[in-house]
Amino acid sequence: MTRNRRLAPQIGEVINRSAPLGFTWNGKPLTGFVGDTIASALVANDVRVVSRSMKYHRPRGYMTNDFWDPNAFMQVGDDPNVRSAHRLLEGGMAIEAQNVWPSLDRDIKAANGLVKRFLSAGFYYKTFIRPQTLWPAYEKVLATFAPGGTVDLDTPHGYYDKRYAHPDVVVAGGGPAGMAAAIAAAQSGAQVMLVEHAHVLGGHLRWGSIADRALADELAAEVHGAGVEVLTDSTVTGRYDDNWTAIVQRSHPIAIERLIKARAKTLVVAAGLIERPYVFAGNDKPGVMTSGAVRRFVNVHSVRPGERAVVFSANADGDAAAADLERVGIRVARVVDARAGENVIEAHGNSRSVESVELADGSTVDCDLLVTAVGWTAPTSLLNMAGDRPSYHEQSARFFGSASIDDVLTTGGIAGDGSIDQLVEHGRLTGRLAAARAAVIGHQLQAATARAVEPANAEPAWPTDDRAPLDRHAHPELFRSSTHGIVDFSEDVSSKDLVSAANEGYDSVELLKRFTTATMGPAQGKLETVNTVAVLAEARGETIEQVGTTVWRPPYAPITLGALGGRVFEPVRVSSIQPWHEAHGATPILAGQWVRPEHYGDPMAEVRNTRTNVGVIDVTPLGKLDLRGPDVPKLLNQLYTNKWSKLAVGAVRYGLMCAEDGVVLDDGVTARLSDDHYMMTTTSSGAGSIWEWAESWLQTEHPDWRVHVTPVTTGFTSINVAGPKSRDLMQRLVTDIDLSPDSFSYMQVRSGTIADVAGCFMWRIGFTGELSYELHVPAGYGLHVWKRLLAEGVDLGVQPFGLEAQRIMRLEKGHFIVGQDTDGLTKAPTTGLANLIKLDKVDFAGKAELAWALDDDTAPVLVSLQPTDPRLVPDEACQIVRAGTNEILGRITSSLMSPTLNRSICLGQVLPHVAAAGTELTVVLVDGRRATARVMEHHAHYDPEGERLRV
Amino acid sequence: MSDRAGSEPAFESSVLRAYAPGSSNALTLSDESALAKTIVRAEAGSPASASLAVSFGSSRREGATLVLGQRPDEYMLIGSAQSNASIVARLDTSGHVSVIDHTHSRALFRLTGAQASATLEKVCSLDWSNAMTPDGAVVSASIAKVNCDIARNDREPVDAEPASASPSYLIACDRSFGQYLFDALIDAGGEFGIGVVTAADGLQE
Repeated sequence: MTRNRRLAPQIGEVINRSAPLGFTWNGKPLTGFVGDTIASALVANDVRVVSRSMKYHRPRGYMTNDFWDPNAFMQVGDDPNVRSAHRLLEGGMAIEAQNVWPSLDRDIKAANGLVKRFLSAGFYYKTFIRPQTLWPAYEKVLATFAPGGTVDLDTPHGYYDKRYAHPDVVVAGGGPAGMAAAIAAAQSGAQVMLVEHAHVLGGHLRWGSIADRALADELAAEVHGAGVEVLTDSTVTGRYDDNWTAIVQRSHPIAIERLIKARAKTLVVAAGLIERPYVFAGNDKPGVMTSGAVRRFVNVHSVRPGERAVVFSANADGDAAAADLERVGIRVARVVDARAGENVIEAHGNSRSVESVELADGSTVDCDLLVTAVGWTAPTSLLNMAGDRPSYHEQSARFFGSASIDDVLTTGGIAGDGSIDQLVEHGRLTGRLAAARAAVIGHQLQAATARAVEPANAEPAWPTDDRAPLDRHAHPELFRSSTHGIVDFSEDVSSKDLVSAANEGYDSVELLKRFTTATMGPAQGKLETVNTVAVLAEARGETIEQVGTTVWRPPYAPITLGALGGRVFEPVRVSSIQPWHEAHGATPILAGQWVRPEHYGDPMAEVRNTRTNVGVIDVTPLGKLDLRGPDVPKLLNQLYTNKWSKLAVGAVRYGLMCAEDGVVLDDGVTARLSDDHYMMTTTSSGAGSIWEWAESWLQTEHPDWRVHVTPVTTGFTSINVAGPKSRDLMQRLVTDIDLSPDSFSYMQVRSGTIADVAGCFMWRIGFTGELSYELHVPAGYGLHVWKRLLAEGVDLGVQPFGLEAQRIMRLEKGHFIVGQDTDGLTKAPTTGLANLIKLDKVDFAGKAELAWALDDDTAPVLVSLQPTDPRLVPDEACQIVRAGTNEILGRITSSLMSPTLNRSICLGQVLPHVAAAGTELTVVLVDGRRATARVMEHHAHYDPEGERLRV
Repeated sequence: MSDRAGSEPAFESSVLRAYAPGSSNALTLSDESALAKTIVRAEAGSPASASLAVSFGSSRREGATLVLGQRPDEYMLIGSAQSNASIVARLDTSGHVSVIDHTHSRALFRLTGAQASATLEKVCSLDWSNAMTPDGAVVSASIAKVNCDIARNDREPVDAEPASASPSYLIACDRSFGQYLFDALIDAGGEFGIGVVTAADGLQE
């Protein structure tokens, strides 16, 4: 029968009894209160078994009742692996046990326990290594035993956030010492961020005495009053160079989680201590709990964790737990005092609960709750990450930091022991020191940063650490009893497993960890590292100091992938005409970061119209660099393979750029607008890299050249007006430029006014092979000019065309695209433009390599190809092979259907001995069939003499 | 680039979406892209550089123009076309000096309010404190993965931290990223009730 285990109202309880919350546990409706964790609500409803262990599926109950509880993982709705002893209860939660079948009470997988002796450490490594061919089958079966909850792949991506911060001081841990440090640092003038793992500040004061809880409230109020930024339910998960700290904020008003990247000038580690479980037979039975777990249940959430308790105590916290239990009417059948040499040997019980405890004196005591208080583990992770290697202190039975790190200070339990007053005082001194050191670091940063306020005073002296160290109180070394039990509750690793592994030769702590997986579960060693090391030391007959520990690395606590991903920033670029494209049904395509119109419905029709009438295309992404200065020709000569010294004002020239290894880097045209003013265009994808390439030459090789390079790619909206009627159209919009062929011929540039927009320039070039004008219009008026072109050319048949039509037309003309028809090995001679490589120039990028490449008769050659079957369009990248063999001779680089020629056309790279016009080549299609294609005489399939564009 | 003729059409910004008013005037974003932007390239120590009288990383106000030292040899003038032109006209262009109209190349936004720095902290890794980025500071940085030039240009004196009254930032990016970046800032400022306001006529006092 279900009992109500809620206690009568307790002073200091955090639940709101007037605010009930309904939820379900494995489908059964239950009720809790606002302020409950899932754990306290379940225990209040008499739920004792809450999970099954990972390997043997042993029934488990709450053990530490906090974030680290290894038995507390649950599925909440579509959220797997929820830490139920930390997550606050919400109304309507559907909470279920994970990885059990068919139910938590009757879990078939518990049969693993029957073959436990065969499932020792290393079982998987030894068993499934052979035969390797069966691994896929093994994997399938083993996957069904994988622990954890289930992920619903249809769950929409939640809103996760990210933030940067530059506080003077980050304090990790909001217990008494951490709060005191934060207050003192803030009162010293520092900007402070206080990060607390739990939902409220206070640390262990929260489940302590009434006076403790009053002090917690007092300090918390002081923290807020001092202007400290408080982050609760948050964890400093990592510390990296220069105190770059990663803080995950698990609850936030606008985001599911938020990752804060804080560059702290000083970091105060006040992470407290984590109570360590004890290793003995039956130590994982439901009802075996740490003293902290019990006190949190009783004092914070007012629930009864049992009815009859045995308390195994080695310290004051154990004694306090016994007192708390008695105070609320739970009978303490026996206090087993470890300080007097008493010990626990084994916990007996059934699948639901511990029933009795066997003690070292031979007696057995009936109970349904066994409380252990055997000492603490210092979570020194952040110190490890700062380069410290903590050392073991035998008298205190725990590790302490051993290094002095200038910008990482410790306080509180991780630094030593003392009364609450002593801890608070140490915290205050630490906060003041942290603020003083942060001030010096801040002074250095300001002095070194151009935009910052220049410090008015000289740099202060580095503050020395004058704090008196905290004491280290004596504590019995209690890790394992005379029996074996579970060491790593997350991974189901027992002390027996560890001893066996050590005896097999895995006797280094790093090897032991990886072989047994001890410390590698969700608890991340917080509960089990020291016990693991102690068991290994015992097996080796050495001390813990001699054995050493593994190194704690980030993250301190597991982080969700959502928090790591944060907000998704995916910048996209659009031209000023994009709204028109969208309004007119353009199919968008993402080209790099640019959103461009691929077509407006029928790219073939767009080609035909452009070849017959006039078409307009938005080519704004074309890279544009403004070049000014008397030495621009020197730069052009350096970047391009051809010559630029004699380019006349008003002329445009095509050029090819190569890297130092002769590989084609980019191509484009450059116009001379006036004596010292040029405009260079690059490929769309090369806009950024060619700017950097030019600056690289100017800043490193030729700083004496007087050239200013300024990127203006989107300062201009670029429109190509192409087609036999393009001149007719332009004449309607241009009044101050003579467009007659004699005055403005092919490969020339003019500046003027287009559609009432001054400051435009236009040049006669064309990727399409038609008479065409490339307009560059100040971008704020780009849409206006585009609309005017379409309005004024209605009777001329003007239509927009997209990227696909342009690709077709350029292929009809045999123009190659850098990066598509060339690759990372294609040197300039391959493109057929050897005549543009001028070795008689003093120097240019790639000259030395190209001098050799021009004589290389083995390099591939770019050729134009036409499939024998005019309807066949081979996929791009299809291999070209020797007929009847698989000997590769080349590949198709571009391939499309030409509506102008009504046949398929291609470009391809082939070896030189098969590059002669008329050669029949074999193309291997994607489906394995073979087809033939013929090498053409010219690169251009259409109008090879260029008569259409020179009119 | 553009000598604006009287018959020219109206300038169109890269930010074209309509936005609902924000819940607070404590944090505002405005599109100032129509302000004239002029780049002056001149070596540090040159006569032109001396007459602009602003060092790398800082800015100063001259009439209706804000003069920014945004690279060691590059200055940006932001303001009215007339004001920028008058500054350029007075420049001693001896040596190697280039003047480029960047009005159409850059989108320009103003983010203002007590939470402006907190908003930038969500999209940029720089330290926006008064000590590291005071009023007048100029810096280049990635905002929401877009390269930007930022000038802190407060509209009224700001007290010592953390009681900043209304820090104000001018943020310039490549025009093509304008709509994306505007939306990213709206998203970042959402938790502070960011509101979109109409740009002031000219550089704000």
